[in-house]
Amino acid sequence: MLHELGYSNLRVYRGGIADWVESGSPTESVTDTPPPEPEPDPHATIPIGPPLVDSPNGVVGRGPAVLSRMGRLDKSMLDLVQQRSTLQLFLLWIGTILLSGFCFWLGALMGEHGLVEAGRPIGAGLTGFGSALYFSFVTATSIGYGDIVPIGGARVIAVVEAIAALLIFGAVVAKFVSHRQDQLVSEIHRITFEDQLDRIETNLHMVISELLSITAMTETKAPLNRITTRLESSVILFSGELRTTRDLLYQPRLMVEEGVLAAILATLASAMNVLAELLALLPPEFSRSQPLTITLDRLTVLAEEICGECVPHTYTPRLVFWMDQIQATAKRIK
Amino acid sequence: MAAEVTAAAHTSDVSEISREELLRRLHDSSLTIVDVLPQASYVEAHIPRAINIPLEQIQIRARELLPDFAAEIAVYCGKFT
Repeated sequence: MLHELGYSNLRVYRGGIADWVESGSPTESVTDTPPPEPEPDPHATIPIGPPLVDSPNGVVGRGPAVLSRMGRLDKSMLDLVQQRSTLQLFLLWIGTILLSGFCFWLGALMGEHGLVEAGRPIGAGLTGFGSALYFSFVTATSIGYGDIVPIGGARVIAVVEAIAALLIFGAVVAKFVSHRQDQLVSEIHRITFEDQLDRIETNLHMVISELLSITAMTETKAPLNRITTRLESSVILFSGELRTTRDLLYQPRLMVEEGVLAAILATLASAMNVLAELLALLPPEFSRSQPLTITLDRLTVLAEEICGECVPHTYTPRLVFWMDQIQATAKRIK
Repeated sequence: MAAEVTAAAHTSDVSEISREELLRRLHDSSLTIVDVLPQASYVEAHIPRAINIPLEQIQIRARELLPDFAAEIAVYCGKFT
């Protein structure tokens, strides 16, 4: 479960929700539906009955509820913006304007609550509809020329529309701008990640050459204490890189190119081999120091976790081959 | 450090948390509470402040919702795990 993903400070509540409820402790439940979309609010009530008087009440009635869960609403609003694409938000904005324009036109049909142009109510025909749309755009973009003015209930729609359109348009702009920023962030992540991969490989090469020179030292019967210190340091470096590779295989955060991963795994396998040969070559009087023993134990545990079947993802046969090599060598060292 | 964590994972040596402690620390923000039950159950009732990560989604969503590996996390599900 979670601890396999690397969480170190886990506590399990064995009683679970059943025990919790039985003990009468407080629980919460999710009763609130997703946040009301900003635009249907003012207009949803329009087509029924005497709508334009109703709509402000609807908005006011929602007031306290909105206040009391402001935090959650805030968050879900953010989520809403987060999940929609720029285009969707933009279409929402356009939709708001069109819907409001339609409502202005409906209001105009009813006479009292419509729009007035140069002292005369706009007509009910196509021209009237065009004027209503025009007024809606002028209001939503907060231009407000004033050549057409709302009267009665249309004022309420105009105010609500202006606010909603402003908010939505703000979201569109924010989304558009942050898109570039997201790209930059992911680019930075990628570069750091590639650096990390390069570092693993370089370090592994260092480990191999160091191990090889220790092997040469052993063959020439160099003093054992010098061997121990050099072996300790290179084994520590080795196990560090092994751990990074293991994490990479278990929790890939970014896609690693197969070729890069294969190179790392192959280097790792060959380093394991060199280490195994060196350990076998060490004279019997060589006693492993405590740090060396501990690091070697860690190293073998980590290496044994690298195999085609133990990693939680499927990799290409080439990678699986190297992984299995690593595990086999680890078993040999043990 | 890593090896210890891995070792812990293998012995599945995870400490427990009692109801009393959980109740006491309900408002302690240093303790993260995670509900691994399906969403339907979470919607019906959950421990206040708990976040919901259904068990089958843990692999995918844990990293995103619980970015701090060292944070103290209390996990619970239906009855006995």
